[in-house]
Amino acid sequence: MSGPNTIDRLRTWISETAGRCIYCGFCESVCPTRPLGPHRGYGPRGRVAMARLVAEGVTPLSNTVVESVYTCLLCAACETKCPVGLPIADIIRAARRLYTLEAGFSAREEKGRVPAIARR
Amino acid sequence: MADAIRKLVRRLGPRKVSTDQALVALYAREPSGLQGRAWAVVFPESEDDVRVIARTAYETDTPIYPQGSATSLSGNAVPENGIVVSFERMNRILEVNIIDGNVVVEPGVRLDDLNTVLEREGYMFPVDPASSAVATVGGAINNGAGGLRGAKYGTMREWVLGVNIVLADSEGTLLRLGCRTVKCRQGYDLTRLIVGSEGTLGLVTRAILRIAPLPEDTVYALAFFPGLDSLMGAFTALRRSRINPFMLEFMDSKTVEYASRHLDLPYTPKGDMLLVGIEVNREAAQRVLKDLENLLADHGAERIITAHGVEEARRKHLFTVRKNLFAGQAGLTLDRAGPGRRIRVMIEDIVVPPSRVPEAVKRIRELESKYGLTVFLGGHIGDGNLHPAVGIVEGVDDPQVVEEWFKDVMRIAVQLGGTVSAEHGIGLLKKEGLRYDLESRGSLKALSLMAEIKRVFDPKGLLNPGKLV
Repeated sequence: MSGPNTIDRLRTWISETAGRCIYCGFCESVCPTRPLGPHRGYGPRGRVAMARLVAEGVTPLSNTVVESVYTCLLCAACETKCPVGLPIADIIRAARRLYTLEAGFSAREEKGRVPAIARR
Repeated sequence: MADAIRKLVRRLGPRKVSTDQALVALYAREPSGLQGRAWAVVFPESEDDVRVIARTAYETDTPIYPQGSATSLSGNAVPENGIVVSFERMNRILEVNIIDGNVVVEPGVRLDDLNTVLEREGYMFPVDPASSAVATVGGAINNGAGGLRGAKYGTMREWVLGVNIVLADSEGTLLRLGCRTVKCRQGYDLTRLIVGSEGTLGLVTRAILRIAPLPEDTVYALAFFPGLDSLMGAFTALRRSRINPFMLEFMDSKTVEYASRHLDLPYTPKGDMLLVGIEVNREAAQRVLKDLENLLADHGAERIITAHGVEEARRKHLFTVRKNLFAGQAGLTLDRAGPGRRIRVMIEDIVVPPSRVPEAVKRIRELESKYGLTVFLGGHIGDGNLHPAVGIVEGVDDPQVVEEWFKDVMRIAVQLGGTVSAEHGIGLLKKEGLRYDLESRGSLKALSLMAEIKRVFDPKGLLNPGKLV
């Protein structure tokens, strides 16, 4: 699945789904990468918010966003704490798919980023 | 703006300062739904870093907005053009002193993380807001946080022995206030002044906190009553019995119904709900539990579920309905919103004398029909703190109607001898309420005194401007 329609559909889905986040931050308490990262972007709340900002064109796809979205382990521990039941791992997967289609990020790059946070 | 950021990058290094739009946006929101703007986020790692930030802000007239984990609910942590100072990297527990009964911590320590460490020693830090898994010590101090144990243990003001603060002046002056002892006379009690000051007077860089021994044992009861009168009868009897529960939670029948809609529970959640937790000696547990059950039954409770110890209470789902208060309101609002529409949940935080809770509940329910809103109503009945909550669907609900409702709830609190905020703070959302409260007491001058105090501590008005006063 690719092409402009897919990109639009991904953008809309991310915007609508991530837009339901109420920003309580409860998800951060169980995120394994949050304590290892240098800022809020290394936790689910930050990742979901960044994914939405990029999908809506509010902010560009920066290195910070890429680091944030690609350091998620997709363990979905955060989903057990979310009071509104957001499919957080799916939002991250959709964001990665979007960036792959739009900016050509590859699966190899994605894999390369995960160990990086362990060195911080 | 550019000058301040350039100086901060030069003095602190680029690793501690970010102007990335996407990152800054993460620090410009809080769960109240309020959204602000900031130029940069700064991440101090030491008291010296904080002093540099304060000094630089003073030199460049830059507003600074301190933040813990931004879980506040009254607009306390939202920036408006300036730099956010995030204390998340200052998260060390510096000392645990069981003999002295205190801990020394940095402001970015999460409350639950502190308790994980203390539990190993058989101790706890008893202030437990709903957000304790992520809420930080610094945020809790600045907001004067409370929680479920408030009925027995009170709020942060009872548990902060001392604080280090950095002033926004030309030196970034560091003050070490308070003592490591419970008894401490140091002139005016500036430590207490900082607790609940919402970051408007100084930047908290370190705290000395009292700790309490973990209870030897606990017992719990969840009871459903046919009406508020019988529930309040049980509540009054509990107060007279000298049992002194550490947890006394309440939800009215309609809220119980909403909040348990999608829950699979081993009991029927129907009626006005009271959740009681009592700390006991191990030998007394069964006796106290029986006495508690009898007391609740004598006052008309229709269903009573008891538990000995917190594990059994969890297994029997005694806390599930109460914990679902916020999620229930959010879920109901999301259902109403449908796909693509955003929601906010406005959570009130009034407090009235516990004896006036029935009247407060009745009047809040009357407001529901006046404004045509679905209100979730629960709270910490043991200390009279109620959290009526309303969900707003953007583009559907009129925010002005909710604002009016919000104000009316605050008026009820003041008219019943209470006040507009118990544990969430004033922030942006309660400023008008604070004025109303003081005015109705004939004490509006107190507001001028607060403004004067703010000027003495922060002459340029750079610390969390626009909040509280």
